[in-house]
Amino acid sequence: MLQGTLDMLILKTLLVGPAHGHAIAHAIERCSSEILQVEHGSLYPALYRLEDRGWIAPFWGTSENNRKAKFYRLTPPGRKQLAIETTRWERLVIGISRVMRPAAQEP
Amino acid sequence: MRWRRFFRRASRDTELAKDIESYLDAETEEQIARGVSIDVARERARRKFGNATLIREEVYRMNRPQFLEMSHYKFAFRTLARHRTAYLSVAAVLALGIGMSVAMFTLVDAVLLHPLPFPAQQSIEVIWKTDPTSGNYVEEMAYPELRDLQDNIQDFESVAVMPTSLYGYGKVLQVGTSDPVEIESAPVSHDFFRVLGVSPMIGRDFQSSDEGVGAAPVVIISNRVWREQLRGNPNIAGEMIRLNGVGHTVIGVMAEGVEFPRGAGLWVPLGIEERVIQRRGATFLQAIARLKPGRSRDSVFPQLNALLKRLASEYPEVYSKSQRPVITPLVEYWTGSARIHLWIMLGASVLLLLAAAISSGNLLLSHTLSRRTELATRLAFGATGGQIMKQLFAEGVIIAGIAAAAGLAISGLAIRTLVRWAPADIPRLPEAVLNFRGFCLAAATAALAAVACSIVPAWSTVRTNLERALREGGRSSVSRTGRRMRSGFVLVQAAVTVMLLVIAMLLVLSYRSMMSADIGFGNRDALSMNLPLRGPGVFSAQTFNPASRRAFYSDLLKRLRESTGVTSAAGVLLRPLEGTIGWDVTYQFEVDPNQNNALPKANYEVVTAGYFDTVGTSILEGRDFGDQDSATGERVTIVSRTLGDVIRKAGRDPLGTRVRLGLGGWARVIGVCADGRYRSVTQRGADIFVPATQAAAPTNYVVIRGTRPTAELAALVRDTLKKIDSNQAISGVATIGELIDSNAARHRFNMRLLLWFGICALMLSAAGVYGVIAESTAERQREIAIRNALGAQKPRLIREIIAGTLALVLVGEAVGVGCVLTLSRAVSEVLYAVSARDPVVLGCVGLFLLATSTIASFWPAWIAAGRDPRNALSE
Repeated sequence: MLQGTLDMLILKTLLVGPAHGHAIAHAIERCSSEILQVEHGSLYPALYRLEDRGWIAPFWGTSENNRKAKFYRLTPPGRKQLAIETTRWERLVIGISRVMRPAAQEP
Repeated sequence: MRWRRFFRRASRDTELAKDIESYLDAETEEQIARGVSIDVARERARRKFGNATLIREEVYRMNRPQFLEMSHYKFAFRTLARHRTAYLSVAAVLALGIGMSVAMFTLVDAVLLHPLPFPAQQSIEVIWKTDPTSGNYVEEMAYPELRDLQDNIQDFESVAVMPTSLYGYGKVLQVGTSDPVEIESAPVSHDFFRVLGVSPMIGRDFQSSDEGVGAAPVVIISNRVWREQLRGNPNIAGEMIRLNGVGHTVIGVMAEGVEFPRGAGLWVPLGIEERVIQRRGATFLQAIARLKPGRSRDSVFPQLNALLKRLASEYPEVYSKSQRPVITPLVEYWTGSARIHLWIMLGASVLLLLAAAISSGNLLLSHTLSRRTELATRLAFGATGGQIMKQLFAEGVIIAGIAAAAGLAISGLAIRTLVRWAPADIPRLPEAVLNFRGFCLAAATAALAAVACSIVPAWSTVRTNLERALREGGRSSVSRTGRRMRSGFVLVQAAVTVMLLVIAMLLVLSYRSMMSADIGFGNRDALSMNLPLRGPGVFSAQTFNPASRRAFYSDLLKRLRESTGVTSAAGVLLRPLEGTIGWDVTYQFEVDPNQNNALPKANYEVVTAGYFDTVGTSILEGRDFGDQDSATGERVTIVSRTLGDVIRKAGRDPLGTRVRLGLGGWARVIGVCADGRYRSVTQRGADIFVPATQAAAPTNYVVIRGTRPTAELAALVRDTLKKIDSNQAISGVATIGELIDSNAARHRFNMRLLLWFGICALMLSAAGVYGVIAESTAERQREIAIRNALGAQKPRLIREIIAGTLALVLVGEAVGVGCVLTLSRAVSEVLYAVSARDPVVLGCVGLFLLATSTIASFWPAWIAAGRDPRNALSE
């Protein structure tokens, strides 16, 4: 997984609403049609980092199967950060695909 | 933010653990829903999550600042324990430097930076006048001028007057039946303590009603006198004590440490006599003033100048038009000539600290370079450069910590030794103790040293070629930076050592010539003591008139001479080496008047018959004073050799030539004696002696010589005195030898201190050279072994090993000598009869350091060259 993209994916996942760690991990897996395989544990340091930067805020809530779980929601600065990272990501994708496509079309 | 995280890291960890648990539960349930057994589900959940412990550790580490990582320090301690000797020697060297510089800083801090216990002392100024046309640097003031200052100078918050010199105001205190003691006392105007900003701890301050003709006699006593003479009686205020035979009411006890002017133990009101209060001609005072906040010396000067101008036109018969005010900050006035000495010492100790830092840096650098294999291995296993740097920094911090602690202990010892060595006339030195500022300095120095000792070697190590270091097994040639740095260290250290040693040697030589100089007093065992005759009043000596004083002295001397064991006894106006005080007189000879213009001022002394015999000043021509030189007889005088030569140059025989002192009458020269150095052992001058029988000035000192021990002689004088007048007391009992010693005390202090610094620097530099050679032979072990095996001559091998380093020492010496020559002007301030550019001293010190360095480098080189090549190669 590309450096820094995990943060972006987490932020993106939280855009639809608060979620706990387990749900975030599955959401990333599901949405990417299982292409992005994350070791679910590595999500947690990332969550802590984002929390420290103030981009997401934690709260304790009850999960769908009635368990206490730590939920995260996107904060306004987080929303702004997501926009920045999305733009950067799109530019990167365009840039890379411009380099890659002609080579792929050649044969 | 970060620190909050740091302190909450434990609770966050529990939180994370709960969070992980909830993940695992959720995942397990999901797996069970897919139809697997509970154990398998749990297992799969765990696998999907990954290593929970590692993740918790990762988050835990995020919550902590990097430099606090204990693992580095634990590891550093283990490393230090393994390389004990190397690191302890580094710490010892550093501790020596820190200790000495902190000690010197503490002394300078006590004496120069915070010399007095007065609040806001930078706004206290001492004021006198000067008159360029008359050549008098100090024109003293009179009491009526106090009123002028109070009324005309707006910038003064308060102003007072005090005598320019404490000399002659001492008072004899007698408590109960104990022996009377003479105590330095200062007559001051009533605002004196308000100017200083202090007030009595018991009783009250002076007020204006304490001054004036007929005011009841009152006194404020110093804390020391209160404790030592009056047994710290807490109800002392209002009690009567006898001073000079007159009852005085004690109105207050001053706070601890206030002994201003120097050594004062009593303060009495100044304006209590008609002749003091009224007469503008009674000049013996200077003013001391506290400026209003925000006002400066520069703003006061024009006001004072204008005032003097106006007074000069109002009282043309008293003041000359050319008088100018002199304003001196109290701190400068107080520390005076001690300043330059202490600054030189501070400079020397900074050089020593530099030498110590260099030496320890050198040792540590050498040692780190020898650890390159270890560091390279750790780099190869994936440690980052940053981690290695942090690791070495942790080691540096520990070494510096040890050095700082040991340095503080050393400085505590050094301060006590220095205070004991120090001459008594450096004010406030005895109060110097290690304080918070000194501690901060030690800590700051240690921190700097830690950084310098660890980061620099670490940087050069991390930057070197990892692969080569590993392959060559640590025996490769050192990185070029490391080698260049070590060379630089050796060079700078040699320069510093040469500077310190040269100055120390110059001081030793000048002390020797100071002690062997013929200062004109041959009888070092002659005992001298102060006996000013005291009575009531400001000028207490004036209670006696010249005739009664003369009678008192001749009675006392007669009784003393008749006692058993006394060889001779005499009286003198001012004994030799009593300080820089003294009477200077102008004089003229009965020769061509033109030749009298360029004559230097002479030291004026009043002596009784037998004085020259007692102190051991030889009479070169003519005779001593005798009974024939009575008050009514012909005026006679004895001049010292310098003046005799002046007369002879004018073509006359000194004996029989007539001399006129000041504007007085003519006196005939009846003798020529050897020159005596009355003011200081380093100061030559001419002296003129007048017999006590014919002089208006008093004799204030008794000199006595005998076959009995000095303590018995002093007791004899005390007993004899008691029989004549129990209100008188002697003080300042000292032999001529002791006076010479205390006069040279400051020089001896400088000499000892610099000698000690020089020896320290020499040891440090020898240690540095030794370290460099030892390390370089270790690195070149294989090369040396191969050359040995191929039959290289041992002397040649040794020469090659040490030549480069010794060349560096030589270059360093040249730099050091250059520095001394540049500084020679400042250095010669503290020298006597020795040139700061003395080539013999420079050469000897250079050779000595070279010899020491050769010995220090020869030892490891000899061992390396003598090793069996088989052993060396197989390692």
